[in-house]
Amino acid sequence: MRVRFWGVRGSFPVPGKQTNRYGGNTSCVEVEIDGHAPIVIDAGTGLRQLGKRLVRNEFLDGKGLVHMLVSHTHWDHIQGLPYFSPLYSEGNELQLYARQPGDTHLGAVLAHQNDGPYFPVPLDSLKARVQFNELLEGQQFDIGDVRVRCTRLNHPWIAMAYRLDYGGKSLVYCSDTAPFRDILLEHEFIATPPTVGGPLDTKHAIKLHMMREKLVDLCQGADFLIYDTQFTPVEYESKPHWGHSTPDDAIAIAREAGAKTLCLFHHAPARTDDQQDEIFATYKHLLRDDNLELLCAAEGMVVDLDKGDA
Amino acid sequence: MRVDVWGVRGSIPAPGPTTNRYGGNTPCVSVIDTKGHLCVIDMGTGIVPLGTALLQKSLPVRDDFGAGKGNATVLLSHGHWDHIQGFPFFAPVFIPGTKLSIFGNARTADRVEALLEGQMNPQFSPIYTLKNLGATIRFEGVREHQCFRVSDLEVSSMELPHGETSVLSFQIKEQGKTLIYASDAGYSASGAPDDVVEFYRDADVLIHDSTYTPEEQELRRNRGLSSYLDAAAVAARAGVGKLVLFHYDQDHSDDIVDENVRLCGQELERLGAGRTEVVGAFEGMQIDI
Ligand SMILES: [Zn+2]
Ligand SMILES: [Zn+2]
Ligand SMILES: [Zn+2]
Repeated sequence: MRVRFWGVRGSFPVPGKQTNRYGGNTSCVEVEIDGHAPIVIDAGTGLRQLGKRLVRNEFLDGKGLVHMLVSHTHWDHIQGLPYFSPLYSEGNELQLYARQPGDTHLGAVLAHQNDGPYFPVPLDSLKARVQFNELLEGQQFDIGDVRVRCTRLNHPWIAMAYRLDYGGKSLVYCSDTAPFRDILLEHEFIATPPTVGGPLDTKHAIKLHMMREKLVDLCQGADFLIYDTQFTPVEYESKPHWGHSTPDDAIAIAREAGAKTLCLFHHAPARTDDQQDEIFATYKHLLRDDNLELLCAAEGMVVDLDKGDA
Repeated sequence: MRVDVWGVRGSIPAPGPTTNRYGGNTPCVSVIDTKGHLCVIDMGTGIVPLGTALLQKSLPVRDDFGAGKGNATVLLSHGHWDHIQGFPFFAPVFIPGTKLSIFGNARTADRVEALLEGQMNPQFSPIYTLKNLGATIRFEGVREHQCFRVSDLEVSSMELPHGETSVLSFQIKEQGKTLIYASDAGYSASGAPDDVVEFYRDADVLIHDSTYTPEEQELRRNRGLSSYLDAAAVAARAGVGKLVLFHYDQDHSDDIVDENVRLCGQELERLGAGRTEVVGAFEGMQIDI
């Protein structure tokens, strides 16, 4: 099982010299298994480049199958979908999986992006076959020989974390989520942030505790854990209601779950490469005597779980 | 008037080392008139660095627009993603006291408010609704050829063909000088209609769509965008002073754009329009008209 990063950025794409090394495309990760259809996690702008690579293979002849796990439908996680070239060839197939979005159908939600005023090609007129698979929190299912599990995260309008197990190796993708301590994020809009470290409504505290337990369980012994670490601890102080974590939160989860490698992901759009280097170096130093290995996601980075890269 | 270019790319932002010189952000151009009023054309991701520049007070705008004071105008060519996707990340919209008037096409279904409200839907955006933005936003529908005043600027618009839909082109005049913005224009193979040429006539600066090479245009005419040859042809007919190529294909590297600009210049010569200067728009470009 190999993991390839096509987009590592949060919120919106950021072109420019200052993002050349880590990359400016929004979230998209590919899981490659020899002899298995590609599994893509999230469809940010990084997906466009992945699509260009795929259409050199069986996708060119309309014989391609791709699976896609979507964490949630915020723009930075779906905006690459209309520009995914395999969808424009007859015969190709996309199996898309995401959380059941409440009172509407997943397909209807995603169709909005391709609606008239926004994009010229409606979703239902695409040549490829697209199937929408709605998931429940905690559901388990198989994609070929890969076992998939999911659990919900603490994020506005709710996101899902996914665990993939194959051939004795495991990967967890956990983006986007706030830590499970200062605020419960669901369907309410929160205009003014709570005080970080302040008191919490008991019902919310219990719900957050359970959510965290389930996530730790999902990450149990994972070989590779990709985690939303958009904020530095200082940035988090003023934005606990935005739904993103710090490397400290990710490290705590990784340690508790006994994960082997943690990979920082969903970098802040304003973060320059040099600033990202600095954050990475700081936490690398912090973990110098730790069993937990630390990586920082960059566009084009490939991690082979079978070769013990992670 | 002072024109600044913040985003030049069509369809989808194109980050990476091969777009560093021209830029990978989607369309956004700002015009500041002699009175310091800010008028923004299109809200692609280029509007994000514009917002940063405003908060840093590095632009000569009236009333320190941006940090909770003053008002600005936005002219929207159409509602495709690459022309609105920067809006939720334009820093001034979060600051109470900021006033924004957004002008878009009144005729087509993409009424501007509904368009941007749909963008903020909680399924897609943590903002949930436009009402949660701090700024006061007013929406205005524009009819073709309707002239209106924005501070010292005289603005008029014209509908151009764009595949199965249309886009607004804007003509902006101040003190006898004229700027035309014509992104996403896609004429038929026989070229721009005469009334479009008249609309561009003698403009000092024409910012024009130049998505494709002629070879790509052969295969994609139905998408409703221009090649650099289409841009050269209409600029030559209209006798514009300066042609600024714009809205580059997401797959065109800086080297390809360089070459397209060069070939566009050759075409202008061939058409006997050698006095029309051609340049490729790049992020950070500033033109004083
Ligand atoms: Zn995100
Ligand atoms: Zn999100
Ligand atoms: Zn466009």
